[in-house]
Amino acid sequence: MFSFIVRRILVSIPLLFLASFIAFILVVNTGDPLEDLRTKINVPKGQIALQEHRLGLDKPFFERYFSWLTHAIHGDWGRTIKDKAVWDQISRSLGVTLKLVVFAEICSVLIGVTIGIISAVKQYSWFDHGATTGSFLLYSLPVLAVGSFLKFFLAIRLNRLLGREKNPLLKTIGESTANFCTVRKPQNCGLIPATTDFLTHAALPTLTLVLITFAGYARFARATMLETLNADYVRTARAKGLDEKRVILKHAFRNALIPVVTVVSIDFGGLIGGAILTETIFEWKGMGRVLVDAVTKVDPNLLLCWFAVTAIAVVLFNLVADILYAVLDPRIRL
Amino acid sequence: MSDEVAPILSVKDLTVEFPTDDGVVKAVRGVSFDVRPRDVLGVVGESGCGKSVSSMAIMGLLPKSARITGSIKFRDRELIGLKPKELRAVRGRQIAMVFQDPMTAMNPVYRVGWQLGEAIKAHNKHFDKKQVRSRSVELLNMVGIPQASTRVDNYPHEFSGGMRQRVMIAMAIANNPDVLIADEPTTALDVTVQAQILEMLIDLKDQLDAAIVLITHDLGVVAGITDRMQVMYAGKVVESGTAEDVFYTPRMPYSIGLLGSIPVHTQDPAAGARLKPIGGAPPSLINVPPGCPFSPRCPLSDGTLCETVDPPLLRVGPGHVAACHHSDELAAMEDPLRLFSATAVPE
Repeated sequence: MFSFIVRRILVSIPLLFLASFIAFILVVNTGDPLEDLRTKINVPKGQIALQEHRLGLDKPFFERYFSWLTHAIHGDWGRTIKDKAVWDQISRSLGVTLKLVVFAEICSVLIGVTIGIISAVKQYSWFDHGATTGSFLLYSLPVLAVGSFLKFFLAIRLNRLLGREKNPLLKTIGESTANFCTVRKPQNCGLIPATTDFLTHAALPTLTLVLITFAGYARFARATMLETLNADYVRTARAKGLDEKRVILKHAFRNALIPVVTVVSIDFGGLIGGAILTETIFEWKGMGRVLVDAVTKVDPNLLLCWFAVTAIAVVLFNLVADILYAVLDPRIRL
Repeated sequence: MSDEVAPILSVKDLTVEFPTDDGVVKAVRGVSFDVRPRDVLGVVGESGCGKSVSSMAIMGLLPKSARITGSIKFRDRELIGLKPKELRAVRGRQIAMVFQDPMTAMNPVYRVGWQLGEAIKAHNKHFDKKQVRSRSVELLNMVGIPQASTRVDNYPHEFSGGMRQRVMIAMAIANNPDVLIADEPTTALDVTVQAQILEMLIDLKDQLDAAIVLITHDLGVVAGITDRMQVMYAGKVVESGTAEDVFYTPRMPYSIGLLGSIPVHTQDPAAGARLKPIGGAPPSLINVPPGCPFSPRCPLSDGTLCETVDPPLLRVGPGHVAACHHSDELAAMEDPLRLFSATAVPE
């Protein structure tokens, strides 16, 4: 197992280099970071040249790439076009995104897998039909629709109904209240008010993500569970005289868990890149927003750092998926 | 075994139907048989004749959609209609089953000792870990697994097919069952391993005083080890008797057809080396035509009676019954095996 992990990490290194090179080609061709400056009138040529030099735009492609790479390996991710440290912005956004996706993913998996198992065990029952229809409906709804519906119809109306327009119960903007804990408002400083503030902000975007994600897991869990429920070893378990609960949980579910865990961990790697639409609707400054901002403003260093972080996350969680697979299935030896 | 001994398992007029989108599949159409203590009953027939479905019905392992009628009695206790909890107390304890494919019949994620222990614990709740383990090792020794005390900690995939089937048998005999149903226990195995497994089953039967129902499509498997034999076709028993009766004086053309399908090893390629296959295919069990279900494939079919009246199982000898309108003709034949003429089989 240990040698497998070391080997996989070593294999990942050239993969990440390749990914960084492809990302660099894409970023370089995204557009001109200084277009704003160039189209403005009365900007002295010297200033443009200075900015070009600062961002390294005056150097040839490969020199730019290797210069960026050497700095990145040393932990220096460069500065944005507005001359701020890229890493500060990315790490802050990563924290925001993690707060959103970790909880949402856990909820989605728990709800989805539970529904999937019950659906499979009670195949063609009213529960199964209801869950299948419901999850298909949610699965096919665009996140934009779900998010906007929750924000405008549920939250804003609910807040108005409760007469709390000033201090809404369900916050629809941002990941925390601005200037929440200051010298002037010492009662807001502490774990409990901070947690409450976070939860009221996180409720809607988390719900949005859960609603559009759990359905997929429910479908997947149902399918794998139906397969294992019809497996020969489940019949053997019943023939031993075991009770149905044990047959379902210890035999069918234990085996259905293997593909589900693999899919969930790979999915999780992809979530690090941020939930672009959800973050936009609820104005969270997470990784998704960073990507949108960086693309619209053509901010090369920011984009490259975003790519690097998400690429590492994908590689890492693929490794986690492989390890979990080996842990859950004794036939796989790493 | 004489008829005076009370049967331990008694199946009467068992029918099993499965509603499907294409119609109701009548998988078992009125099967009756008795299994006496320490008896070995061979059930033979081709795929889809209802032999596995019958055994699953006895175990109560059929899907909920199956419609079961008739009676299955274990020691005068009716099993059909038992509550799930009561049925679980019988399964694996009084009646146990060995399945066809040992590759898929064991859960791949648990050690064999764990799976054996589960079978033991299901009917011996008071056993502690140590007792369960020592019993598991004992069982593995009984079925001839070498180094049982270390093999008990292996996973199923670390065993060969034959060894896995031994473990499956160990699981089935874990609670000294009175009846052991073996559904094609050797079909998925190498020919060399088949004989060992069968020999072991018979050995265990004597050790445990259990009766065995041996289901197979291979007459070679049942020859020599069964006391009684019944031939099934299209969901019915078409002939039943001692192994000698069925092998030497078959009174139903289908039994003869099955006998003709056994490869015979001979030095002389001219004499009997060719298989004598039965032409055609078994009837659909959705719309079973009236008359004898075998009549469309039967060389003895008269085209009138055979195609209109389904022959009942009639006594043709002591303890020997057959369902054929023309069993008398067969009795008069010098060599009934010649009924199915040899067709060219590629050498």
